[in-house]
Amino acid sequence: MFDFISVNAFWTVLLIAHALLAVTTLGALTHQALSVAAPVWQPAGQRGFVTRFRAVQGAGYASAVCVLWVATFILGAWIYTKYRIAIRIPLERTGYWKTLGFFELKEHITTFGIVLLPAYWYFWKNAKNPAFDSARKWTTILLASMCWFAFLVGHVLNNARGFGS
Amino acid sequence: MTPATKSKASSLASSKAFGAFAIVFAIAAPIVYVACELDNWPLFTFHPGTNRVDLGWAAPHANEGPAMYWYGWTATTLIVSALLGLVASWLPIRVSEKIPLFLIWLLPLPALAILAYVLMPFWTK
Repeated sequence: MFDFISVNAFWTVLLIAHALLAVTTLGALTHQALSVAAPVWQPAGQRGFVTRFRAVQGAGYASAVCVLWVATFILGAWIYTKYRIAIRIPLERTGYWKTLGFFELKEHITTFGIVLLPAYWYFWKNAKNPAFDSARKWTTILLASMCWFAFLVGHVLNNARGFGS
Repeated sequence: MTPATKSKASSLASSKAFGAFAIVFAIAAPIVYVACELDNWPLFTFHPGTNRVDLGWAAPHANEGPAMYWYGWTATTLIVSALLGLVASWLPIRVSEKIPLFLIWLLPLPALAILAYVLMPFWTK
């Protein structure tokens, strides 16, 4: 493969794909979390942007969020092998300890997110069962918070030493 | 999604056994993961410098760069939690229905607090 594309370009493409998948997951989960945290009981119609943003049918996002989280996770886990050598070691030498610490926390959080997915999916596929209402709401909010944390940490790390490094 | 896939997903969504599996899997995983991290129980160790994989925990080899344990912790967590979830899926419905659902979203929070504490060297350097 590296006859056609440089090693640097390969990892950059992978990192961009990972980032795009993360943005898509973030958008879907934020819509869904707002739809359960502050549901809109009447058709949004001509109301404001925020009302329309939270007026989505959350159940329709569940399978897509699961697929997106797993795909983002797999790409991230792949890039992580490169990160450990090419990114972390130089950042250690330059003393970016807090950035690295947050990235360590991000890896734990993404694993915690992936193990929530079967229950999350099950709750949303049984959205009419009131017994799952509270668990569905808080699991979705937790997943969305995890996604935001992971996204922001990844973004900051990329600013510290990312594309082309 | 094909009609066959849709029908499989729909039967999974209506299965109480799958529900019990998913709930216990989600509850067990943060506990297993924290235990793996604190007691160092990775299923395998990956050495990114050489692409070598050692079964279980292994120290970094001399002149071969660092060792990575996260893949191994994640693998241990997925396997152990899935086994516990499988056991839960065999429980009678009247038992599995009593599992407190709030543990699913509550347990990751103290688990993350412990993991953040373990990362103290990163915060204090």
